[in-house]
Amino acid sequence: MSATIDLLTAMPPAFVVLAAALILPFVSRRVGHALGFVTSLAVVPWALALSKSPGRYLETAFMGFDVVLLNVDDFSVVMAVIFGGFGAAAVAYSYYVDAPRLQTAFAVSYVGTSVGAVMVGDWLTLIFFWELMAVTSTLLVWHYGGKAVRAGYRYALLHGAGGSLLMSAVVLNYVQRGAETFVFTGEGMASGLPAVLAALGIGVNVGFIGLHAWIPDTYPRPHIGASVFLCAFTTKAGVYGLYRAFPDGNLALAYMGAAMTVYGVVYALLQTDMRRLLAYHIQAQVGYMVAGIGMTSALATAGGFAHVFNHILYKGLLFMTAGVLVYRTGQNSLKKLGGGLWRRTPVTFVAFAVAALSISGFPGFNGFVSKGMITAAAHKKHIFVVGGEDVLWWLMMAGAVGTFMSFVKFGYYAFFKGSYDGDVRDGNVGQKVAVSSLAVACFALGVAPGLLFSILPLSGEWTAHPFTVSHLIEGFVLALLGIVGFYVARGAISKVGSGRDVDAAYNPAVFYGTRAFARGTTTVYAGVDAAVVRLAQFCVRAVNQPTETVQAILPDGLRERYEERVNSKPGETGLRAGIGDTVFVVSLVLAVILYLFL
Amino acid sequence: MTEVASLRPLAAVAVSAVAILGILAAHRRPNLREGVTLVAAACKFSIVASMLPGVLDGTVYVTNLGELVAGIPFALRADALGLLFALLASLLWIPTSLYSIGYMRGLDEENQTRYFASFAGALSATMGIAFAPNLVVLFVFYELLTVSTYPLVAHDETEEARAAGRKYLAYTFGGGVAVLAGTVLVYVAAGTVGFSAGGIEGLTAGAGTNVARLAFALLAGGFAVKAAVMPLHSWLPDAMVAPTPVSGLLHAVAVVKSGAFGLSRVVLDVFGPEAVAEIGAGVPLAAVAVFTFIVASVIALRKDNLKRRLAYSTIAQLSYIVMGLALLKPTALVGGLLHIPAHAFMKLTLFFCAGAIHVETHTDRISKMAGIGKRMPLTMAAFGLASLGMAGIPLLAGFVSKWYLLAGSFAAGQTVFALALLLSGVLNIAYFWPVVYQAFFETREESDEKPVVDAEIGGYWSRVPDHYTPRAAMADGGDDVHSHDEGWRRVGWRGGEASPFVLAPILVAVGGAVVIGIAPATVYFFRIVRLVVENVTGVAV
Repeated sequence: MSATIDLLTAMPPAFVVLAAALILPFVSRRVGHALGFVTSLAVVPWALALSKSPGRYLETAFMGFDVVLLNVDDFSVVMAVIFGGFGAAAVAYSYYVDAPRLQTAFAVSYVGTSVGAVMVGDWLTLIFFWELMAVTSTLLVWHYGGKAVRAGYRYALLHGAGGSLLMSAVVLNYVQRGAETFVFTGEGMASGLPAVLAALGIGVNVGFIGLHAWIPDTYPRPHIGASVFLCAFTTKAGVYGLYRAFPDGNLALAYMGAAMTVYGVVYALLQTDMRRLLAYHIQAQVGYMVAGIGMTSALATAGGFAHVFNHILYKGLLFMTAGVLVYRTGQNSLKKLGGGLWRRTPVTFVAFAVAALSISGFPGFNGFVSKGMITAAAHKKHIFVVGGEDVLWWLMMAGAVGTFMSFVKFGYYAFFKGSYDGDVRDGNVGQKVAVSSLAVACFALGVAPGLLFSILPLSGEWTAHPFTVSHLIEGFVLALLGIVGFYVARGAISKVGSGRDVDAAYNPAVFYGTRAFARGTTTVYAGVDAAVVRLAQFCVRAVNQPTETVQAILPDGLRERYEERVNSKPGETGLRAGIGDTVFVVSLVLAVILYLFL
Repeated sequence: MTEVASLRPLAAVAVSAVAILGILAAHRRPNLREGVTLVAAACKFSIVASMLPGVLDGTVYVTNLGELVAGIPFALRADALGLLFALLASLLWIPTSLYSIGYMRGLDEENQTRYFASFAGALSATMGIAFAPNLVVLFVFYELLTVSTYPLVAHDETEEARAAGRKYLAYTFGGGVAVLAGTVLVYVAAGTVGFSAGGIEGLTAGAGTNVARLAFALLAGGFAVKAAVMPLHSWLPDAMVAPTPVSGLLHAVAVVKSGAFGLSRVVLDVFGPEAVAEIGAGVPLAAVAVFTFIVASVIALRKDNLKRRLAYSTIAQLSYIVMGLALLKPTALVGGLLHIPAHAFMKLTLFFCAGAIHVETHTDRISKMAGIGKRMPLTMAAFGLASLGMAGIPLLAGFVSKWYLLAGSFAAGQTVFALALLLSGVLNIAYFWPVVYQAFFETREESDEKPVVDAEIGGYWSRVPDHYTPRAAMADGGDDVHSHDEGWRRVGWRGGEASPFVLAPILVAVGGAVVIGIAPATVYFFRIVRLVVENVTGVAV
């Protein structure tokens, strides 16, 4: 047994995935993708096997601080399992949507750094992997070229800021409480400034309202295979980081999370670009997870992690099915798809339906279970109670109705309304296998949630009863409201347009603000520099050509007399002095200065 | 701490001074001449490195050469701080010499003998600065460095180069005068100008607060000229007219670092952190540094000439060092001092890359470099890595020093400075990454206008309609989607892009930055820095 553990803890699983990413560009596309698939999938049994021997492994020092390169506890295991497993599915999907080798190499390095981030046991290495995730995902976006490049630049800037904020939180926490706080002790960030900095830094990753606009800006633009990776890791690693920073929760986070569910859904409803619509739903769904972390109960926390797990499955599946539609039709927009696709792409349609029912929280699908854990925890009265329930709960319910509406809209425009004129085929075999397996997973975890419960954290401190009558009714009512809501509001929705988000304000503000500041400073400095240079040149000229300088300064009347004198006594004018006189003057000046200062 | 009489510090200074004679003698035989440079570089590094184990154990190597002026010994003294600088400069002289060969010959430059001789002279002066035992000897070598680098700055002999050279002399000699004045004040107040870890005893008491402040202002202000602290920085961007290896080693490593190093001597060994805090000079100096790195980064955003952008980046990054020193906390001192080697490796990489691009493609403007990753893949990959490090992103040396600087800022209670440091990291991304992304992910036909901040918001891509799909990635598959771009000749990843003399130094320099970033504890620079800070503050960081 211990020999097995020694072998499993010889290195962090992330290193194996990262090694595959390094090899990937240099072997054939087929071999490379196979390598990425196998190493990523291997993380699942690896983490499950380790889960029986929790603890800290590979403890070492970095920059003189104690760090833990491999930390096995309930939280890291559940994250590693879903990251590794989904990473494998996404690599397979990438292969069948013709992703180039280099792109998948970037993607696999992104998977590797994400697995690394959730399996380390201290803040210093977490920051390390956190920032590397930002780098690898930026490369993944950039690789597609075109409009993705500039979006990737904005993405890099925002994540640079977010990573820096988290880093400053970690450093301040260490300065305040000592280096031993690096290793995760279950304490979280010190309250006050460290907690605020951490919340803001992680808030970029999880898409707090106001810090979220990078999600819909970036995720629709790259290759369809790249979007599938992107939708899974950064935001969810953020949720994990949020738990590490706030293990005891924080109600402010809970309210932020609940608000995110509504905000994201409202914007999602307005979108016509399929992947942009799905990107807004990431914000909304992550809102449930943030609320789960924020509410101080074991059930909510476990629900948050359950929702991470389930969300990666169904959101990945949604991006895959949307990707198949883009792949087959060449269109990103729901309006340009043509509609009526369900007969022509039945497998994709069924997979989409499963994913849509899952994300909407329909009974029998996985989202119903994990969202239910969080909303059940929200029943508890927290701060603002309206109509017998807390505002938290109402917001989440509103978000859930909106989610139903949004996916009724997606399904209606893509698969039903109208009829597709051209020739369009269902996904290829590989795509069908990929989407089917994820659809099966969503369904299986929906009807047999015990499978997931067994690896969720804090077991023993909570119990979930997903299939109570009241909860089932809640699910059906929300669905009904969603369908009716879409039917009533669909005309209004299509009139509103896709809406302007906060980045429509802050992008120009930052851009023109920086430009104005930069231009102002450069102009001022150029002016100062030119003045200094002119002064220097004047001094040089004055010394070299004293006569001419004197002439230039003197008033008209004096100048004539001076010129006469210059002509009559050449070489004896113009402030020339003998060496003795010069030494005398200089000494005098120095003496005066020294007398004044000493 | 034990002092050992040894000729090694003198030898480290002398070896390249002697080499000047060899270089001049061999002016008709370029291969022999460059051989002399390389042998001298190897010898110098070996001599300096031979003192490393001893210094880490607390030994100080001293060469005594009598008295310079009455009461002030002329000696060379290799202590931990001096060795940090000497080791760095002598180590990097080796790849820079190789690079100089590739660069100067690649461009068929004139006056190569003068160039290599001046370079050797500059390295001698640098060793002298590193091993100076007191402010007067430091001043002498500091001025010698200015003199020996003038021919390098004005190397092109064009009007622009001469003007840059004059400006360089005016600024740095001006700084030198201030240093001398400060030295006199210190001598009057304390009766000595010799360095002593933690500060000269009784300096502030003997001088009175105001005179001590004046002395500090003169010394710090004088060294700040070479450290390019704003508003004394303006010589540095103009000096970029020099050949790139000069910009690389001298203006990113030796010359500007001699300013930063002089400042470290002043803060650590003349006044000492306690006295600096006592006269209230730390926070103002740190504030000037913060101002510098924010404003310089913002100015860098607008520079289209790659070397000029790098120059402003240097100005900004040097102020990281100044800020670390000025914050006076042990962690901040570690961060600041560690940034001396960290920045050196990264910035040398960046300059070498800029030079390689110049030699191979005669391209200097960033706006002309879209798609250049195809032509110079290894070079631009190294550039990308080094620019990550500049932003303080992990795997690179910049992360380590930024970490300590942050910790030092917080420890000093200067939250605003810490946040400014973070802003600076984001600005680094803002002005470096467009260079990287356009190299690899844009093409000549389709790319953002550069500099990004002067073009329209959103750049070229904001004018492209939304349904536009530039790559045929969706339908027809294919492995490398970037292969249909015209413009740059595609060169593989096997080093065909430039002469090995140019390429190898780039890879060595970026390798150094990565090693410091991944395994800082195994790198001697880190150990020396911690030793220095422990000697000065008595705190083990």
